[in-house]
Amino acid sequence: MKKTTSFLSGVIGGTLLASVVGGSAVAAEFDGIEINILTRPGPVIAQRLVERGEEFTAMTGAKIRVNEVPFAELFQKILTDWATGTNSIDVGVFASGWAVELADGDLLEDLTPYVEADEKLQFDDIAPFFREFNQKIGGKTKLITIDGDFQMLYYRRDIFDEMGIAPPRNWEEYMAAAKATHGKDLNGDGEPDYGSCIFKKRNAQSYFAIMSVAAAFSQTQGTGQGFFFDTDTMKPLINNEAWIEALNVYKATGEYGPAEELNQDIGDTRALVQSGRCALAIDWGDIGPLSIDEAGAAIRDKMGATVMPGTSRVLDRETGKLVDCTPEICPHAVDGINISPFAAFGGWSGAINKKADDKVKAAAYAFLSYMNQPEQSNLDVTMGWTGYNPYRNSQLDDTANWVAAGFSEEFALNYLGAIKDSLNNPNMASDLRIPGTAQYQGNVLDRELARFLADEITAAEAVANIEEGWEEITEDFGRDSQREMYKSSLGITN
Amino acid sequence: MPVHSRSVVNRLFEAPAIGRMAPASALIVYGLLAVWTAVVCFPLYWILITSLKSAADVNGGPVYLPWIDFTPSLHAWRELLLIDYEDTLRSYLNSIVIAVLSTLLCISVGSMAAYALARMTYRPKFGNILMFVLVMIAAFVVIGKLGVDWKLAVSVALAVWFLLVRSIGRHFTKSVGNADILFWMISQRILPPIVTVVPIYIMFQNLRMLDTHLALILTYAVVNLPIVVWLMYDFMNGIPLELEESAQLDGASRFRTFWEIILPLAKPGLAATTLLVLILAWNEYILAVFLTTSNAQTIPILVSAMNAGERGILWWSMCVVIIVMIIPVVFMAIVLQRFISKGVLLGAVKG
Amino acid sequence: MSNARTYRVSNSEHNQSLTHRLSEWFDRQASTLFITPAVILILVFSIFPLVASLVIAFSRFRLRAGSYQVRFVGLKNFEKQFFGSEQFHFLGTFKGMSVLGYAVSAVAALLVLWWLYRYCRRQFWWLGFIGRLLSAAMGLGLVLLFSATLLSGHQFGTLGVTVFYVFAGCLIQFVIGLSLALLCSQPIRGKTFFRVVFFLPLMITPIGIGYAFRMLADTTKGPFSPIWQLAGLGDFSWSTDPWAARIFIVIGDSWQWIPFVFIILLAALENIPRDHHEAAQVDGASGWQIFREITWPQLVPVAATVMLIRLIEAFKLVDLPNIMTSGGPGIATESMSLHSYYAWRSLDLGQSSAIAYLLLFTTVIICVSFFNYVVVGRIRRNAA
Repeated sequence: MKKTTSFLSGVIGGTLLASVVGGSAVAAEFDGIEINILTRPGPVIAQRLVERGEEFTAMTGAKIRVNEVPFAELFQKILTDWATGTNSIDVGVFASGWAVELADGDLLEDLTPYVEADEKLQFDDIAPFFREFNQKIGGKTKLITIDGDFQMLYYRRDIFDEMGIAPPRNWEEYMAAAKATHGKDLNGDGEPDYGSCIFKKRNAQSYFAIMSVAAAFSQTQGTGQGFFFDTDTMKPLINNEAWIEALNVYKATGEYGPAEELNQDIGDTRALVQSGRCALAIDWGDIGPLSIDEAGAAIRDKMGATVMPGTSRVLDRETGKLVDCTPEICPHAVDGINISPFAAFGGWSGAINKKADDKVKAAAYAFLSYMNQPEQSNLDVTMGWTGYNPYRNSQLDDTANWVAAGFSEEFALNYLGAIKDSLNNPNMASDLRIPGTAQYQGNVLDRELARFLADEITAAEAVANIEEGWEEITEDFGRDSQREMYKSSLGITN
Repeated sequence: MPVHSRSVVNRLFEAPAIGRMAPASALIVYGLLAVWTAVVCFPLYWILITSLKSAADVNGGPVYLPWIDFTPSLHAWRELLLIDYEDTLRSYLNSIVIAVLSTLLCISVGSMAAYALARMTYRPKFGNILMFVLVMIAAFVVIGKLGVDWKLAVSVALAVWFLLVRSIGRHFTKSVGNADILFWMISQRILPPIVTVVPIYIMFQNLRMLDTHLALILTYAVVNLPIVVWLMYDFMNGIPLELEESAQLDGASRFRTFWEIILPLAKPGLAATTLLVLILAWNEYILAVFLTTSNAQTIPILVSAMNAGERGILWWSMCVVIIVMIIPVVFMAIVLQRFISKGVLLGAVKG
Repeated sequence: MSNARTYRVSNSEHNQSLTHRLSEWFDRQASTLFITPAVILILVFSIFPLVASLVIAFSRFRLRAGSYQVRFVGLKNFEKQFFGSEQFHFLGTFKGMSVLGYAVSAVAALLVLWWLYRYCRRQFWWLGFIGRLLSAAMGLGLVLLFSATLLSGHQFGTLGVTVFYVFAGCLIQFVIGLSLALLCSQPIRGKTFFRVVFFLPLMITPIGIGYAFRMLADTTKGPFSPIWQLAGLGDFSWSTDPWAARIFIVIGDSWQWIPFVFIILLAALENIPRDHHEAAQVDGASGWQIFREITWPQLVPVAATVMLIRLIEAFKLVDLPNIMTSGGPGIATESMSLHSYYAWRSLDLGQSSAIAYLLLFTTVIICVSFFNYVVVGRIRRNAA
């Protein structure tokens, strides 16, 4: 029995894998190799790794073992495992932003040579932001994306059409639309529903939402400009009117949201959206596939997607004040509205432990590549439960896969159009990717945001506190090295 | 008081006999007990029915009664026990192994120490302890500053201390007694786990013992050791001295006395303490999160893993795990409850 | 015993003497051997980490490839908590004290001084005095903290929250636990049933309880939401109000720990000889009189120790606020353990250890004070 299996897998693996790793593979090349992957608990993200892992095992003989730890402890686990030389993990699948700290400690395998030798990957098909910014650290490819993350605005197309409201392009329109729809029964259960659902729970993911809001106010000159720090002085670009405005906007949306929004994480918000209780919501790409899910019956074919709302008043970095957009100030603005889709979280990506055995590294790369290749990923991103969102052009150009998954042609076009608009926006904002990101965002920003939302402090106090906290962290890590890391994360090389 | 002169009201409020309750107070007593039973049982009931609900039933608003309000389904149970049973079973077995072995270790080491402290006299010299602390601090500094191998540094430090004790140790006069040692051991319980967890992590990492059962077994045993010493010390104290003395006259060694006379007598105390320690080890979360990745992952981590972040919390699956977790402990508690109810923990607590 | 001996004698002489010598040696070393395992375990797993943690608390700690980097920074980590950018987080926001705050602080200061003065007059021992000085400083410090924050309309930090959890939680657990124990000590049927049922919450893992109470407390999907709506509180959510959230966490914690207090107090009650009680009943004493005159004095030592155990455990509360509110709204429900845990999670190990040490310091002073002045005092008074 065992013999047959390994023989079969040898044959299949031999034929399939020959193309997987640039023709260098021999039959069942990875027989007897075990790859330990660490990621967050499934079914989201992890489950698809398990399933694709089984296929991969059948093909190549390499055994894929997916280990799961709670999301909050994931980065800690990977960093300590690799940094202390425990090395029980070969591949980490985590937020691309976290990788910088690992790369800084020289813990990540440089994947550039692998990628160059890998034709099946179709490197150029990956959307530019992910290819050039997200997967690379200091110009070297260190990550393989399996999920493309940035936030978009979702609205109830049926309700908006009925009421004659256009999808909001800026925050004034957003608030007006939220106000108009709040308290109406949106899902026909006789109970009043909400105009706006944006997760605001502390110590969860709310800081991604505030950055999404703030990006358009602060970044105008394209991805390379960045909006967290001044690239010369490494002073935080936080204590200014742009962030104060963003904080106020974010808080104001709560007025048209559920009473306990302060304790709602993205999962709670999504449950509300899926049961048809929200007219407007900010979310990653997931809402699209989730709306064709069984649990999303209430919103099937009723959702619309568009890029994040923008603003016509943007930050003047000299004075810290908001000024009106002009073609010089906002070169990428559309109709005078500056838009900056924020690549919140950067997407789940795989990275390989530099200290792993060479054979394991080769097998691990082959597996990550297998996940990323259009043949596999173009199908995976259409399924809501995988948690994978589009990051390749071929995933957006062809609606066939999406329609096959259950999208209507109309919604598929609308949804993919919104993604394309975001992905190809030259002003897309990159998430913070420097050492200490967890402290900057997860600790200081998150806490001050929570205190502001809970009315403990004013917006001005919040931004002042964030600036102070960030400066301390920068000092701790070393201002010069942080500045260099920040610049290289934005692709500035001088 | 002649019976016929009692009014109805009187009869309502007076006990019919000593050791029985008046009807009115019985009503109040049973009423309050029923209220508290409800307070205890309702969350448990809610956990139970949630494990039978579908996502729509949970997210759509409260439904209370299976078959009436909603159609119960075993989907979560099936998923965890039939489809994903490998993960569940692995965590479950890990938890059982770790909880049971750490409890055994903790109880045996702890009750030996408790017996020793109750029956023998210790007079460690204050100076020797001070020297030990100083030598160890020196070792730490050497390890930290000069990067000396920790095994070498610690061995040298121990050797130096030993020599010091042999040479100048006898000149010290001040010494500490049993009560101080007892207090020192108990005071270890005051330590919040968060204080010690990072060094423990680094220690196990150096020993290549992360994500092993042994790491958790040892850690849990130590964390719970103070409780065992505390509870068993007073229990041992309560055992009459004569039995041991007569055994010793017969020539039995200390170990044999302990094994053949003390332990059987201490059975009720051991049972109660075991149950308590077992529950604590079974339910522990923070240390398990730090010290395990996959091989030794325990079941409380599985509970929190059911919080799938952006997909919301899988309440139904989580409730299944919680119920599965409670069952063995409840079983243990019912078996051991007669010991607990006999006021065993009491002896210790009387202080 | 004698059988064993005959058996041994029948063995070879040499062997006999070796085993004999060995067992004699063991017997002589018995006192060392009995206690050594416990001492070693505690030294390795408690004392070593404690010292190492102290080192980390005074440094910046970073994980790097292959090892870690420790940079000594002196008191900076502590300074940050008390005076720096984390002050609001650890202690609270200070923006001037209200009249009420001043009044309360003044009264507290006078009381503390009087207490110290009385101690000096009655008996004086320098170690005892230092201990009392520490307790007094801690007590006064906490009163000042609450005066400057709570009583002056500002927010207190994780220290205040922890103290609130500990005292509110312990008080509730004691009152309800004692009431239940008194109820169960009545001559009732089904005592075993109640005992087992009331014991149940203790067996559930704290994170399970956290999630369960989050479900129960949900005002839109939880079981009590209809009642909530009826009461006109549909727009109010406990999780967005600081005090409601804190109280909810205390309720969850109490639900779990009342059984512990209950089971031990019940055992204590049942251990009290019935004859006094019955004699008093015959004499026509009321229930309250019997409780106050007979039951309570005998219960006090047990109660004090139970509460000491609870006190120690309560300071470590971390799972419930972490799961129920993640420390929110704002920082309103963040306990010190959680504070330290979050710092650890963002890899700020120096801060994490510093906070943990502050927690240890607070816990030790409060618990030792409670032990010395309440537990020992009560027992002594009782014995007298």
